[in-house]
Amino acid sequence: MILIHCPYCDEQRPEIEFANAGQAHIARPSDPSAMSDEEWEHYLFIRANPRGRHHERWRHNHGCGRFFNAVRDTVTDKFETTYKAGEPRR
Amino acid sequence: MTGYRLPTGGRIDRATPFKVRFDGRSYSAFAGDSLASALLANGVQLFGRSFKYHRPRGIVGSGSEEPNALISVTRGPGRFTPNLRATNVEVYPGFEAESQNRWPSLRFDFGAINDRLGMFFPAGFYNKTFMWPRSFWERLYEPAIRRMAGLGKSPTEEDPDHYSATYAHCDVLIIGAGPAGIDAALEAASSNQRVILIDEQDEAGGGALADPALWPWLARSMKALAGMPNVTILTRTTAFGYFHDNFIGAVERMTDHLADIGSGPREKLWRIRAGEVVLAQGAIERPLVFDGNDTPGVMLSSAAKVFALRYGVAVGRSVALMASHDSGWQDVFAMAKAGVGIAAIIDVRDEVDADLRAQAEELGIAVRLGQSVIGVRGRHGVTAIEIARNDGGASSTLACDAVLMAGGWTPTVHLWSHSKGTLAWHDDLGAFVPDVPAEKARCVGACAGLWNFGQGLTIDALPTPKDKARIKAFVDFQNDVTAKDIRLAVREGFRSIEHIKRYTTNGMATDQGKTSNLNGLQIASTALSRPVTDIGLTTFRPPYTPQTFGALAGHAKGSLFQPTRKTNIDGWAEENGAVFELVAQWRRARYFPKAGEDMLAAVNRECRMVRSSVGIFDASTLGKIEVVGPDAAEFLNRMYTNPWKALEPGRCRYGLLLKEDGFIADDGVSARLAPDRFHLTTTTGGAARVLNMMEDYLQTEWPDLNVWLTSTTEQYAVIALQGPNARKVLEPLVEGIDLSAEAFPHMAIREGLICGIPTRLFRVSFTGELGFEINVPSAYGRALWERIMAEGARYDITPYGTEAMHVLRAEKGFIIVGQDTDGTVTPFDAGLDWAVGKKKPDFVGKRSLARPDLVASGRKQLVGLLTEDPNHVLEEGAQIVADPKQPIPMTMIGHVTSSYWSETLGRSIALALVADGHHKMGEDLFIPMPGKTHVAKVSSMIFYDAEGARLNV
Amino acid sequence: MSEALVRSDPIPAGPFLGRDASLKAAPRLARYVLRARASAAVEKVLGAQIPTAIGGFANGVACLGPDEWLMFASDGRESPVDESGSVSVTEVSDRSVGIILEGARAAEILATGCPLDLDHFAVGRATRTIYETVEIVIVREAMDRFHIEVWRSFAPWLWTALTTAATE
Ligand SMILES: [Zn+2]
Repeated sequence: MILIHCPYCDEQRPEIEFANAGQAHIARPSDPSAMSDEEWEHYLFIRANPRGRHHERWRHNHGCGRFFNAVRDTVTDKFETTYKAGEPRR
Repeated sequence: MTGYRLPTGGRIDRATPFKVRFDGRSYSAFAGDSLASALLANGVQLFGRSFKYHRPRGIVGSGSEEPNALISVTRGPGRFTPNLRATNVEVYPGFEAESQNRWPSLRFDFGAINDRLGMFFPAGFYNKTFMWPRSFWERLYEPAIRRMAGLGKSPTEEDPDHYSATYAHCDVLIIGAGPAGIDAALEAASSNQRVILIDEQDEAGGGALADPALWPWLARSMKALAGMPNVTILTRTTAFGYFHDNFIGAVERMTDHLADIGSGPREKLWRIRAGEVVLAQGAIERPLVFDGNDTPGVMLSSAAKVFALRYGVAVGRSVALMASHDSGWQDVFAMAKAGVGIAAIIDVRDEVDADLRAQAEELGIAVRLGQSVIGVRGRHGVTAIEIARNDGGASSTLACDAVLMAGGWTPTVHLWSHSKGTLAWHDDLGAFVPDVPAEKARCVGACAGLWNFGQGLTIDALPTPKDKARIKAFVDFQNDVTAKDIRLAVREGFRSIEHIKRYTTNGMATDQGKTSNLNGLQIASTALSRPVTDIGLTTFRPPYTPQTFGALAGHAKGSLFQPTRKTNIDGWAEENGAVFELVAQWRRARYFPKAGEDMLAAVNRECRMVRSSVGIFDASTLGKIEVVGPDAAEFLNRMYTNPWKALEPGRCRYGLLLKEDGFIADDGVSARLAPDRFHLTTTTGGAARVLNMMEDYLQTEWPDLNVWLTSTTEQYAVIALQGPNARKVLEPLVEGIDLSAEAFPHMAIREGLICGIPTRLFRVSFTGELGFEINVPSAYGRALWERIMAEGARYDITPYGTEAMHVLRAEKGFIIVGQDTDGTVTPFDAGLDWAVGKKKPDFVGKRSLARPDLVASGRKQLVGLLTEDPNHVLEEGAQIVADPKQPIPMTMIGHVTSSYWSETLGRSIALALVADGHHKMGEDLFIPMPGKTHVAKVSSMIFYDAEGARLNV
Repeated sequence: MSEALVRSDPIPAGPFLGRDASLKAAPRLARYVLRARASAAVEKVLGAQIPTAIGGFANGVACLGPDEWLMFASDGRESPVDESGSVSVTEVSDRSVGIILEGARAAEILATGCPLDLDHFAVGRATRTIYETVEIVIVREAMDRFHIEVWRSFAPWLWTALTTAATE
């Protein structure tokens, strides 16, 4: 069980307080109706599957309840950094 | 010397003798003995049969590395533990154990025929032989192999013991309480850090336990540590896994060593988070590979020393040492001084340190250099060995009753490897040693390759003049892998050690190759003519030693297995004979049978009473979310398919929630309490998921909205009152709410008092009848339920359960998300077009509803089904075909999602997802079942009161 | 009207005495979830200071998230009212029950299923966390006393788990 730094609580907390919420920095389009089927399909389904640095979302659901972003290495399972939702990609 | 017990010495308590039983025979033992030491003291050499060839096997090691002596301990009904290593098992008065993998007895084992047929069981035998025909696997091969192979029996009774678990935190965790671990603990403890020191043995000391000169130091050090409040010492505790961020799993055995186990937990799971981990697990001695090296009586030199000096047991009266490493010489010297008879020292090396030779001479021990053991006489125990000069010449025979192997040392890096720390090959040591840590961790002592055992020669197998294809020189004792098997794997083309391992099963037994991995690697290296570093090392994985399921489960057993959530009204249901079902974690009353009623009779009665008078239902488990803030309506408008902004306070609306992919995620009726406050409901199973999804959109997509969500599922007990008499039952109990049809229409909410308690009273219906859902603070649920029951008695008010609820809603064509939908159903598929706001520019899932796949024809759509035989109730999940005469395999066009006997209609009804179902109204479809194909006509989903007249009262 | 409705609670009213620790139901409390973008708005509604850092606990109010406070008040207190529209107030008095875990082994018993390092969880701190699979809110009221909040339907399970741990 890893430790995850919650950027809102600003402390390391045990993994079981958290839930993964998929790839980060995929903003919902402001006007979905204006998108082509291909664009919409891309938004909905196409996800990165990198070996190494991966930007993903986590939620401290049994803690402060906040969604936040993280950079995790998919090979080592180590978190490089975590930062608040809305902050620029790191 | 009685038996093989030395007259003095050891840490056993000679003042506390008792008897133990092994395979039904009684043996004497002392407090402090392991089963291995006790039996060896009684002259027992045969401990078990090997896995594949059923060869007789004896003790090899003295601790967790033991590959052979797996035994089963029995402590009465349900308390049967197989596959324990005799070297790790402490004995106590009345102890009872049996050997494994033999039939009918250990000395005469029928399966030993495999050994005689050994030439027919080469590496990969099972892979090669049992390939064909496939059908033989289930019927013939597997049952036969299972009977012959395998380890101990699985216990068949429920485990009566209970188990404990805890988290623990420390600054420094030291694993292994040998001299290096104890020193590390003393050092860390002196700087006032929180220290946990754990060791798998019954007392701390590790290698020092077999070194009497260190005993005073050991006693002093442990006393010092025990006196420090910042130090926790856990003995009989095995660290079985090292996980990320210095998280270590360990199991403490609390009662297995006690004659009277008392009532406490048997084992305790420690989940330890450490600032730093110090691995002080020592090293494991390597066996030597030669013909007959698995004969009982052939064992590790270090183990024999432990038996002599820690337990006061001689492993033989005339013991020979076969060494490639100095450490064996030292062991034998110590044993000789303790009174063990030494037959000779044989060393494969031509030269050894002069000092060693001098000491041997002083002790009168014959020495043979440049020679090797090439054969072992005796089947159930060593009687003699054959020895040959490495440079050729005739062999000679030496009588002895034990052979010690000193093949060098392998640091115990299992946990280090779990943590993903890297290893580096050390040529001088002939071993992989810890290199770069992946965590804040370090290895100390022998675990780090820092030992003072002297010099050694690293070899793959002892030289022999014999035909290497005809000898049985074992590498992996537990899985019966010989040097020949590994060479065969290489000849057959396997190059990677990971492949060789899987093909030969070397290192894949329960001991994970503690004594075999390095020898296997050396043999592969020689066969491939490539250095070991090119071949790689197999991966160690948790657990370090096998652990019980009970220990890993911890408290999660019986009533603590997982929470059963109960409503405030649950107790009443239980007292009134309800039959329950689990819905998510909730326990819900399914029906309330009266005397003599089966489920169908009870459900029919409950349905009848709701339709004709009034029923009462515990709906407390419905998910509830309070949505508060100036932007509450805007938020719901974006989340749900239908419009919410114009909903008046005091009114309710059915809400349909899609995922962004356009498929139905959840539904529920929600109410607007005030311009900035909504009371949402969700399905019972969807409560947490829906709240999470809404939080996600709110926090990450629309953080500008001023609205907040709070789960109120458990704040309210909810009582549904349904049926034409519902209003009459409610009227006398309610204050401040006008219940008349004009003042309080269907799909409205009012706040007031019921029986003096504040209530949020919904006028809603999931049955198609006049209905109310009464929300009160949870703690009042049961009392209010009883008050309503009393009030409704004159209408014969009838409690109904989830089964009747399902029937009643199906009669009305109301779907259950998750039963009638499966995550691939759109609102259009489900016939819920009316709940989709066509004019809304956007809501979650809207864009997807226009995707080509979701508007294509042929999608599965929800329809009603009426069987030709009105008395036949279809099976839920049954597959539907258009033409029953088509050849098998038939094209299935859908399946039954809900199916019930409708007492109201006097016939069966069903809902089904059918391809293009909305265009098949009136058509006959077919449901082939074993023995009979049923015919059903596609119909509307609404079977009862289609115009909704019963609600308008 | 007939007599008042009687409340029923999911855990025993009487205390449980374990080895060097006891457990008992907390007294009946009013509870409110307060949500706002700024703590000042909440302080205005309550007329009292509240903790601003997550994990803080003061004046009966725990700060559980950046915009979330859980307020405990003696039973019978009127609900806080927000006139400004900037604070969301939701009553959750009956959503959870409180368990008081007290005694020399209090932290040790909580640690049987709670993964936090309680040595570093000071008196006066509050947080939402988890005990095995069950979400809880803990407030450390003293070195040897925790107030544990758990949703009502999970309370019997948690009570059994903690009393079992207290016996071992
Ligand atoms: Zn947090």
